Amino acid sequence: MTRQSLTPMTKVEVVVTGDDLPALREVFAAAGATGYTSVANVSGVGHHGFHQGRLAFNERDALTLVITVVPDDRAEAVLAGVQLLLADRPGVMFVSDTSVSRPEYFR
Amino acid sequence: MTLAGGGGTARARTRIDVEVAARVIGPVWPLRSFIAVNPLDGLVEIGFDAAVAQAQRWLRARCHPDLGLLRAARHAGRITDDDLRASVLARHPSLGDDEVAAFLSELLERPVARPPAVPRTAAERCDERLGTHLAVTVDAMVATWCAAFVDEGAAAWPMPGRSEGLYRAWRRLAPHDPGLRRLAGRQARAELRHLSEHPEDAIVEALDDLGVPPESYRDELRGQLCRLPGWTGYARWREDWAPPDEPAPRLSLVDLLAVRLVHERLAVRAAGATPRAVVRAIHSQPVGQEPDDHAAVWLDAYERHYRDELLATMARPTPTSSIRRPVAQLVCCIDARSEGLRRHLEATGDYETLGFAGFFGMAIRFRPLGATDVRAQCPVLVTPGVSIEERPIPGQERLAERHLARGETAAAAGSAFHAAKTGTGAAFTLAEISGWVTGAAAAARTLRPRRRVRAERRSRPRTAPTVDANADGLGFTLDEQVLYAETALVTMGLTGGFAPLVLLCGHRGRTTNNPHASALDCGACGGNPGGPNARVAAAILNRSEVRSDLRERGVDIPSRTWFVAGEHDTTTDTVEILDRHDIPPGLAGAVAVFERDLAQAARRLAAERVRVLPGGRVRRPAAHAAVRAHDWAEVRPEWGLARNAAFVVGPRAMSVGLDLGCRTFLHSYDPAVDPDGTALETILTAPMVVAQWINAQYYFSTVDPDVFGGGDKTQHNAVGGVGVLLGGGGDLRAGLPTQSVLDGDDPYHEPLRLLTVVQAPLERITAVVDRNDVLRHLFDGGWVTLAARSHPDAPWQLRCGDGTWAQWQPAVRGDDDMEVPV
Repeated sequence: MTRQSLTPMTKVEVVVTGDDLPALREVFAAAGATGYTSVANVSGVGHHGFHQGRLAFNERDALTLVITVVPDDRAEAVLAGVQLLLADRPGVMFVSDTSVSRPEYFR
Repeated sequence: MTLAGGGGTARARTRIDVEVAARVIGPVWPLRSFIAVNPLDGLVEIGFDAAVAQAQRWLRARCHPDLGLLRAARHAGRITDDDLRASVLARHPSLGDDEVAAFLSELLERPVARPPAVPRTAAERCDERLGTHLAVTVDAMVATWCAAFVDEGAAAWPMPGRSEGLYRAWRRLAPHDPGLRRLAGRQARAELRHLSEHPEDAIVEALDDLGVPPESYRDELRGQLCRLPGWTGYARWREDWAPPDEPAPRLSLVDLLAVRLVHERLAVRAAGATPRAVVRAIHSQPVGQEPDDHAAVWLDAYERHYRDELLATMARPTPTSSIRRPVAQLVCCIDARSEGLRRHLEATGDYETLGFAGFFGMAIRFRPLGATDVRAQCPVLVTPGVSIEERPIPGQERLAERHLARGETAAAAGSAFHAAKTGTGAAFTLAEISGWVTGAAAAARTLRPRRRVRAERRSRPRTAPTVDANADGLGFTLDEQVLYAETALVTMGLTGGFAPLVLLCGHRGRTTNNPHASALDCGACGGNPGGPNARVAAAILNRSEVRSDLRERGVDIPSRTWFVAGEHDTTTDTVEILDRHDIPPGLAGAVAVFERDLAQAARRLAAERVRVLPGGRVRRPAAHAAVRAHDWAEVRPEWGLARNAAFVVGPRAMSVGLDLGCRTFLHSYDPAVDPDGTALETILTAPMVVAQWINAQYYFSTVDPDVFGGGDKTQHNAVGGVGVLLGGGGDLRAGLPTQSVLDGDDPYHEPLRLLTVVQAPLERITAVVDRNDVLRHLFDGGWVTLAARSHPDAPWQLRCGDGTWAQWQPAVRGDDDMEVPV
């Protein structure tokens, strides 16, 4: 398999608290994303200092990384929704170009 | 179905607008797993004062205790003028003596009036201008659709198309709705046939048609949702909190708003209003509201008095020192009702008691023997990772089969009875035919409650939870068992000094004919009885392999120690030992003595508790409690968690020997075994958060029962398994029923925001709080007061809003109380 045989798409990675996961899923669905991958209990340092990752008995206030990949023509919808969500909520978004081997999964 | 381009962007924006608009309304759990929740949880980040200003504006809610209650509290000495003076100075530190006196004078004499209600929706504005009743008409119609949509099997003819969501299912039926034709006229029928396929599009079209400018979308959406806060709260639960495999139909906020806005749009147009100009006028009005300074001072003084008394009491050395070698240990849930059981048991002998969240660290999905449904037995903040089933132990299979067959027969009879009750025509004859049987059964249930319970226990087969991982995908691996056991023991500080018997005691309520029954069960077990978690935890802690691994991690449980599971029935105040067949015969005598003392403690607690129930001044309180539990007409079987006020974290030595009046959540904690603060972090971010939800639910249900409460139980009509209505229709009633917080017209519950008291190094507490947003919001936003001391001899410190500490200074109690009207 060569890179030329892959299909270009847009990857959106968002870190939010568990509380905001349902709203993020709503945005993805409304924008036409067909799926996502989430990584629970991520931690790190941001401009507010250290953010705790895992909490023993509270998933709602722990941080989760959610990754979705969409065709380029749906990326604007995802980005607009996530930007609105993060306007007054904690979290960060990373957007990058990517390539996938099975484009039909993402359409 | 996929969406792309501009449509997708607009719909994503609408989804976020809806999500932001709904934050003023908290989620509402269905009745089968009712748990207490902060009704303003979505606004925690903006702080208490700002959140209640939002609730006052949008929900038209009263958010502070009634002035009559506060004046009565002052008259009774529950609030002193020193408290008030200290509270004024806390809010306005620059005021001089004369200014404080003037403030107090005005505070004590000024009546409190609700601010005028500002119209929130287009229909409300039309009603105001034209004298119509569009808003309530739309409320009733939309609420009826919601009830039909979420029905969980009660209706003989379920609403078709529910799998597509409320909006699409309704859209198909709407052209045939005679009520809608009456509201909007025949000409609306054609429009209803051509509604947008997507609810988001229908929302925006309706908003545009109503003249709402895009910058006011969120306000209009919020106003629309606040017309039906109960159904909105249920939708929030269904969207944000329900498990992925939840079978109940998915009522979404977007669907609810789309249906509602189409109704309003048609109604406003049919009324001949010109909404465009009207709505513009609405949204040009300022929506903010000045926080009520007087109400805030009163509330602070009310809380200050309780705080001063509790901290002063715990600052003194307790009369009972800790027991060096307890004969047994009792580990209860942190639930405030456990405080009484612990106190009375300690008074009977050499017992040590501890507090821990009642799921004992076991986040499980539990299927009781023969049940079809699975319960999430853990705090709702956690997704249960392990499935456990209750199964008969070897040799009990045939008895279990007979037991289940009896259950199926009873269930079939119940189903037939239910069908006859709800069938057209049959309901009229059912009472005539079956009344003599059901009436006698109800009377027997009421008059012979204990006999019935004993008969039920006798016929039950011996069972055990499937604790060890098996081929069915159930149970824990050994590593998981060790991890869960260690987390539980370290978090509660029980890492040594084990007694020969350790009773892990879950709890449950026991009531009859009570839609809110689960509200009396264990909140840490997701509104379920806590017995299953105690059984699982005890089984794990008795495993020799688990103990061996724990020993390597520094927790040495002696071989002579045995963990026993039990369940405290908080309605009757009885404690049942579970899984007796598992207890080694050599411990039978010790268990018998322990049970005797538990029974004595429970009787004393029942006497104390029944005395404060209306009609509870009786000679035989324990028997009276049992009758209340089984009386199908009893609206107040127990007070539940009413009067809860504080969450105490630390060793029992802080409070042993003190009567805390079943008002405190007591969580055991040993700072010495938690050098990095992990256990403290767990306690504050989970059990304390749950306690704050409970506290806030009781608070708001008391200060405004009409907006935040569940209404009068005698008027309740259950809607499927999801909630209750008052009377025949209307909005779902969220919150606690009136009988849970009020005694007649007067509050029994004291509406105080939670006080959290911690004994741990201050720098450790600060570090834990600073790295968790949820704690900063609660402590620094005025939702919870945090008091702490590093060790028993240190003075109490209070965390200030800026994250610093200030030494606690009690309000001076003098004799200079002013003469003012009460």
